[in-house]
Amino acid sequence: MRLALRELRRRPGRFVVAASILTLIALLLMFLGGLLDGLIGSSTAAYRAQPGDLIVYSASSRESLVRSRITAETRAAVEATAGVEAIGGLGSLQVGARLGEDPGSRELVGTVLFGYELAPRGLPAEPPPTGEVVADSSLRSEGVSVGDTVLLGPQRSPLRVTGFVDDTRYSGQVSLWGSLDTWRAVTAANRPGQSPGDTVQALVVRTDGAPAAVAAAIDAGSGSTATLTLAAATEALPGVAQQRSTFNQIIGVTALVALVVVALFFALITVERTALYGILKAVGASGATLFAGVVTQALVVTGLAATIGVAGSLALDAVLPAGAIPFEVTPSRLITSVVLMLVAAIAGCAFSLRRVLRVEPASAIGTAG
Amino acid sequence: MFLALREMRRAVVRFGLLVAAIGLLVFLILFQQALQDGLLTSFVGAIRNQSAPVLVYSVDAQRTLQGSTIPPELERQVRGAEGVGRSARLNQSTFTIRIGEEGDSDAAIIGTDDQELVRPTTLTAGRRPEREGEAVGSDGDFRLGARVAVVGSPGVRPAEVTVVGLAEDLQLSVTPTLFTDLDTFRAASMAVNPGATAMLPNAIAVAPADGASAERVAASINSVAPDADALTRGDAADNSPGVAQVRQSFQVIFLLYGLVVPLLTGLFFLIITLQKAGSLTLLRAIGARASVLAGSLLLQVGIVMGLGLAVGVGLFYPLSRTGVGGLSLRFDATAVLAWSALLLGLGLLSALASLRRVLRIDPIEATSGPGVR
Repeated sequence: MRLALRELRRRPGRFVVAASILTLIALLLMFLGGLLDGLIGSSTAAYRAQPGDLIVYSASSRESLVRSRITAETRAAVEATAGVEAIGGLGSLQVGARLGEDPGSRELVGTVLFGYELAPRGLPAEPPPTGEVVADSSLRSEGVSVGDTVLLGPQRSPLRVTGFVDDTRYSGQVSLWGSLDTWRAVTAANRPGQSPGDTVQALVVRTDGAPAAVAAAIDAGSGSTATLTLAAATEALPGVAQQRSTFNQIIGVTALVALVVVALFFALITVERTALYGILKAVGASGATLFAGVVTQALVVTGLAATIGVAGSLALDAVLPAGAIPFEVTPSRLITSVVLMLVAAIAGCAFSLRRVLRVEPASAIGTAG
Repeated sequence: MFLALREMRRAVVRFGLLVAAIGLLVFLILFQQALQDGLLTSFVGAIRNQSAPVLVYSVDAQRTLQGSTIPPELERQVRGAEGVGRSARLNQSTFTIRIGEEGDSDAAIIGTDDQELVRPTTLTAGRRPEREGEAVGSDGDFRLGARVAVVGSPGVRPAEVTVVGLAEDLQLSVTPTLFTDLDTFRAASMAVNPGATAMLPNAIAVAPADGASAERVAASINSVAPDADALTRGDAADNSPGVAQVRQSFQVIFLLYGLVVPLLTGLFFLIITLQKAGSLTLLRAIGARASVLAGSLLLQVGIVMGLGLAVGVGLFYPLSRTGVGGLSLRFDATAVLAWSALLLGLGLLSALASLRRVLRIDPIEATSGPGVR
């Protein structure tokens, strides 16, 4: 082990190119992961912030918030279901917002106005008064401050920003959180054909029983709803499951490439060291000790590459202009990527195991020098 | 040359690992290239492959068809702008549909009051709609003659659409898409929302008058209608939300993968060149020309890259026939050839360091030194 580490210190040059390749692969893994997290995060954060266990859609909506309509009668039926502890209406409107007070501006920011009753994480329990909203903090990067007014939609419906809340983006857009009355007024003004009247798009339900059982009871009782757990509703948002599965496959194959690169590099090094291993075995070193040295070197080189990859990802996150690429660095993603690289390194070394164990001291010494 | 081939046969694990690594990388590059192309086509195929040269959205829509609303005053301004020839209303929405006994699914329906101006550019089967209730559908999602029921509100009779034609690359927002007339679209909307009163167009499709270019007409509309966002067909597709982000994200990915391939090949051949420096020196000492040794090296690089490309393409080909998560992928021979040529070139370039080593071998070192300066 000490010999392996000493070689790394004394002859770092021989490991530089392998470390460079592994650094690129680490960067790739972290970039792909960050892209996945950014895409999913900016699509689902508004749902993940909901305070309930269940989301209730109308049965014909195919679990789409935009197409769902919950009438007052349906709401009453849901409310009367055993196991329902609290219930809140939810409405959404995707609409362009003009920042500042120039109604003629052609520069718009994509926003989703939510009307809520049960306060999502970080929002005041009582929704802001009509005409006021709490905005997702990503709107700050557009220069909006507390007290500013944004103009929504073709009718330029004015809404005053009274505060900010973190991590609540939806469908890749900035969310604005207000009362159901605000949502209804802005929708009626800007989408007259979709005026919600007294309906809401969905219900957020907090349960005091097993959520799955309560969901089944709600659907059976109302006869016109499709109720999902919060996790299932988040996963059912358009594109989320597909993005996750596609990116995970790409990340998996990239990790496989890392494994093959480690295998290849250390297979080459092992061939080069056959005579040396023979001598070491002749003076008493076991095959296990020699292989542990190979694994140690692989882990150090890969660990170094992964560390540079982490630094590179953080730097990329810092320099990328806001909104250019949906890239998000999270500690869990970085740790997962590093672990994946290290596991690939250990697995890659297994290709050299046979050669190390089969070194014959006598014949190796014969070829040494 | 036979030495080069024999060396590869005798070190099959090492060369095999390199071929496997390159093959996986090539597969990833080709897969992601197809994914990017498939994503972009599925996002905006219906925009790119329809016939109207200019599309006018409301500026508030931020270039999304469904989010756009054209009020009467804006429509009047657009139709009156200089250079506007023919124009048509365009509506689009996403509906829940049912085909026969199949379960419910989503489809985008695009309706227009001028199917000469707004139609899929190329049909792969069938004909264009001739009467109300007929539509052209995105192939792969619909079959010719399919009767599509637009699922309405409870108690409302579903609207029916018959698919009379099919067209390639016609999806919008990764959703099966139907092109039809405005009355059929209206019937679908009324089935879902029977209380709806007015139906404003989502966009206005425009053909320039004789002598005017699409770019000039778009500029002319934008100058007279502050709430209009007129775009040529290509710009409307390229500037749709998400398109630029998808392109930028994939460019970074391609760059990183593209760097790994030559580095990997270069590293491998450099190491094995160093490992066999003594043997190469001996070969030079007994009369082997440097060009022969260099040729052997390049032959090995070429074989490894060729096999790696074959493995990558071999892995990608079956996947390109299936698709991923509802997204159809395509085996684009041009893209495959372009990537193959680029990677082969990069692979050969990466062998330069090894080549330099080989060419600098001095035969005299066989008698006195390590063989390589």
